[in-house]
Amino acid sequence: MTLIAHGLVGRSDLPIPEWLFGWAAAMVLVVSFVALAVLWPEPRLERERWRPLPGGLGRVLAGRPVQIACGAIGVFLLGVVIYAGLRGTQSPTANFTPTFVYVIFWLALVPVSLLFGDVFRAFNPWRAIGRAVGWLAGRISRSDLPAPLSYPAGFGHWPAAAGIFAFAVMELVVSDGDKPENVAIAALVYSALTFVAMALYGVESWIARGEAFSVYFNLISRLSPVETRDGVVGLRRPLAGLAALEPVSGTVALLAVMIGSVTFDGASVGSLWTGIAPDIAGFFADAGLSPQRALELTFLVGLIGAILLVYAFYQLGVVGARSVGGGFSTGRLARAFVHSLVPIAVAYVAAHYLTLLLFQGQSIAFLASDPLGDGSDLFGTADSQIDYSLLGANATWYCWVGLVVAGHVAALTLAHDRALALYDDAKLAVRSQYWMLAVMVGFTSLALWLLSQVNS
Amino acid sequence: MSRNQRIALVVAAVVVAAVAFVVAQPGDDEDAGPTADTTPAQTQTDSETGAQTEGETGGADTEEQTEQQPAPPPEPEVTRIRITGGEVAGGAKDIRVESGEVVRIVVTADAADEIHLHGYDITGTAAPGRPARFRFRANLEGAFEMESHVAADAGLDPLVARLVVAPT
Repeated sequence: MTLIAHGLVGRSDLPIPEWLFGWAAAMVLVVSFVALAVLWPEPRLERERWRPLPGGLGRVLAGRPVQIACGAIGVFLLGVVIYAGLRGTQSPTANFTPTFVYVIFWLALVPVSLLFGDVFRAFNPWRAIGRAVGWLAGRISRSDLPAPLSYPAGFGHWPAAAGIFAFAVMELVVSDGDKPENVAIAALVYSALTFVAMALYGVESWIARGEAFSVYFNLISRLSPVETRDGVVGLRRPLAGLAALEPVSGTVALLAVMIGSVTFDGASVGSLWTGIAPDIAGFFADAGLSPQRALELTFLVGLIGAILLVYAFYQLGVVGARSVGGGFSTGRLARAFVHSLVPIAVAYVAAHYLTLLLFQGQSIAFLASDPLGDGSDLFGTADSQIDYSLLGANATWYCWVGLVVAGHVAALTLAHDRALALYDDAKLAVRSQYWMLAVMVGFTSLALWLLSQVNS
Repeated sequence: MSRNQRIALVVAAVVVAAVAFVVAQPGDDEDAGPTADTTPAQTQTDSETGAQTEGETGGADTEEQTEQQPAPPPEPEVTRIRITGGEVAGGAKDIRVESGEVVRIVVTADAADEIHLHGYDITGTAAPGRPARFRFRANLEGAFEMESHVAADAGLDPLVARLVVAPT
């Protein structure tokens, strides 16, 4: 989070030391080969196993009163984000809006989704408004509403990929992307687009495929053991939710955007990028752009480049896996294994933004009391401060490495299970796994390398 | 492979990982625990006396410091930074220290300025002939930017220096 790192944060991380980098890289290899040897020989995650929470709790948690309350909270927070962004102080650190959107909404919901499942679905303000409007319209017209258009199959996850890309551009490329006013306007524009799309294709089908944040947090929540089915909250095997993911057109692109944007954010503070960025910016400046626009365009090039590299690397692994035989097309294979990229993407986000969430997240305590930055003290917490001693540098490094390796293991497990289900021949399954393993090791090494590059 | 063989292989891998970790880890590493546990209140008083009073009453502050620590370590090295015409002489540099060390920074400026150290949240005022003096114990690990408020308000690059506090 380049802009945020300069604008919002008072402390930045130290790069992981060489010895830890070496140890972690070695561990990734050890883990990979041990996994190949000891993981189960029959597919397991593909099997359904879901049990409702005991004692009717599952039904209460997903019940109507809870849904309405959560939806109302979501709508209220969206309102605060827009109001504070437009009316409050325009200093990014003193206004509620940028920290809430970039840290609490975007980052804190990641661990929450990992632990408790698709929580955002309940709080999603757009879904809540869409459903409320649909319900009201039904009451008023006293007849059936016209059926929405069917969601075009070709769209797939592409609208979600575009939405997450736009968010990354706002966060990493636009130089005033953390200005409260701009965040509020972006939220307004996105809300308008979402309502139009919901009106066209129906609330639930747009939420399931097109609405970027719904799709994003749903993907993450699939790692969680908590799942809501038919209005009941229940438990499933961890990771099984990802095995049940139905990849559509654009799913691979969405994952490439997720991993690529974190990669670019990490690399953009490293020496490799800071070495070449001035040259690209100079090129654009020569073409007659203002320095600020030239810099923004440079970052856009970097962001797109990182996403394409991630995409190409994954495709390379797929082409390799195809070469072992089995008669699958590359498209089929790319979709068959794309769910295994989700834990890797989550590990990237979790490690990269751990300290931002932990430290900058604390500032929501004083921002909530003084959302506009006008000196008010609604909850008596306006004078609270960020405690930077919460996590020392050593502890931070161990958390990073732990998260990255855990993501790697989860990815391997998913890919292994899918290979067993996909190939009838166990030998082919194992040989295809060498390729996917190479892809995973590549992504994980990249994650470690990025963590050794921060502020160096 | 039987179930027992699998378990044995996993256990072996975990043992290898643990041994490799202990071997690779630098010997004097005592984990982040003790340094992270140091009370923030201590940092506050330390840094406040350091930054705010030393500028005016340099001598008294030194006495206070000695009272707090019965066995004072040798005087820490002073980092001197000069700002002329709104620019840092020689460019903004990294000040590298280890966690728990006492840091001394003196910023001289040819114009009135306010120097702020992020994270530690210490502000010192500088004027021609009256440098901003910082003296505090580096209890927070990480990289922290020291900025000039005057340069920031003027839309210039406000970075004066970066304090890099590594774990011991």
